[in-house]
Amino acid sequence: MRRGDPDAYAALVRRHAPAAVRTATFLGAGADAEDVVQEAFVKAYRALDRYREGSAFRPWLLRIVANETRNLHRSAGRRAAREAKAWEQVAPLLAGGRAGAAAAASTGRDDAAEALEAAERRVALVAALGRLATPYREVVTCRYLLGLDEDETAAVLGRPRGTVKSRLHRALRALEADLRAADDDRYRQEVTHDG
Amino acid sequence: MADVHDVHDGLVADLVALGRSVPSRPVDDAFVRRVADGIAAVDGVAAVDGVAGVSPAPPHHRRALSRRVQAAVAAVVAVVVGALAVPPVRAAVADLFGFGGVLVREEPVPAPSTAPPPPGAPSHLTLAQAAELVPFRPAVPEALGDPDGVEVSADRRVLSLTWETDDGTVLLDQIGARLDYAFAKSATGVEFVTVAGNFALWFAQPHEVVVLEPDGTVRRETARLAGHTLIWERGQVTMRLEGDLTRAEAVAVAETVAETVAD
Repeated sequence: MRRGDPDAYAALVRRHAPAAVRTATFLGAGADAEDVVQEAFVKAYRALDRYREGSAFRPWLLRIVANETRNLHRSAGRRAAREAKAWEQVAPLLAGGRAGAAAAASTGRDDAAEALEAAERRVALVAALGRLATPYREVVTCRYLLGLDEDETAAVLGRPRGTVKSRLHRALRALEADLRAADDDRYRQEVTHDG
Repeated sequence: MADVHDVHDGLVADLVALGRSVPSRPVDDAFVRRVADGIAAVDGVAAVDGVAGVSPAPPHHRRALSRRVQAAVAAVVAVVVGALAVPPVRAAVADLFGFGGVLVREEPVPAPSTAPPPPGAPSHLTLAQAAELVPFRPAVPEALGDPDGVEVSADRRVLSLTWETDDGTVLLDQIGARLDYAFAKSATGVEFVTVAGNFALWFAQPHEVVVLEPDGTVRRETARLAGHTLIWERGQVTMRLEGDLTRAEAVAVAETVAETVAD
């Protein structure tokens, strides 16, 4: 696609906007996700000359979205503060989600118990994600929460594919260990209370 | 090594489910239109880099600011279009947000390959005197030392410092935030850089500098060709460094800017 073809670009916007807004949201743009994506589309249009014909448009666009999202928290100061701010936007969204709806939809008692357990697991998972170092959380977010493939994840985060692979591996191991530890803690507390 | 998916099947499934539990929203027509408007503003006409008459808002007002800046952009573009009567070409609005209403548009018109040195500011004032006149605390780059020339614009909104160096004149304009006119430029080759971690713009090519009047009209007689220029923001003041500097040199100078101590 060439610059100077607004109609074709509008079609492109329509096609990729939902994934782009989702990416901005999951990377911490919060209420500004749509603004971020609009701006990203304008920038992408402007940079179409630099976009290599034949390569996938989506990862290229999402990379711009990811950068714009980072810029959003620029005023928060130090990197740690910026990253914390970004995660603050995401955590409630993930912890809330459709859990309530799922619980309401379940009728039988078994279903209700299951829904409760699922909601608990979900809250624990979000908490564990929050404890993950940002580079690891980012690859998990792109690869699994957003459902991008490894190449796309690498493109969006601007990291080599090997780095993405190794970070994913370590992130999953860390999450697993964290969840197990949290679970043990909870179990111990319950035992103490009962005793 | 086993595939990560095999080892952590349950966890991966939970993560995917977690992601999917957050609903995806399709965008509406208004969204597409706003992108189109953004592109139209960008893809419109002459190239302008202006410090438009918009007071910078705190970054958390981003949404409101973006709309306001967009309005300002439209106005400035229209005016400059009329004044320059340049046929529509593609151009670019740079990052408009959190940047004191600076707006940049590129114009692929052939620009002269060299620009005259920036005008020197005759030393009518001392820094302390200038500080009395402008509504902000003047700042001086330590890398350049005491300026050779100090001047304040008639409306007291722009402080210009100059240094005579081995590489010619270096000019630093400091523009108060409550600015009701703008520098407008025709520019090619605008680059994004950072000064001490903050967003900045680098103009590698000679470009036209035009001053906009409060009513948005262009003061043509003020148009002049500018050389290498770095624009960044420092608190409520927009800084503009111009001279025969490389990008790295300009950024290095900009990063040594320190406020003068009030006498």
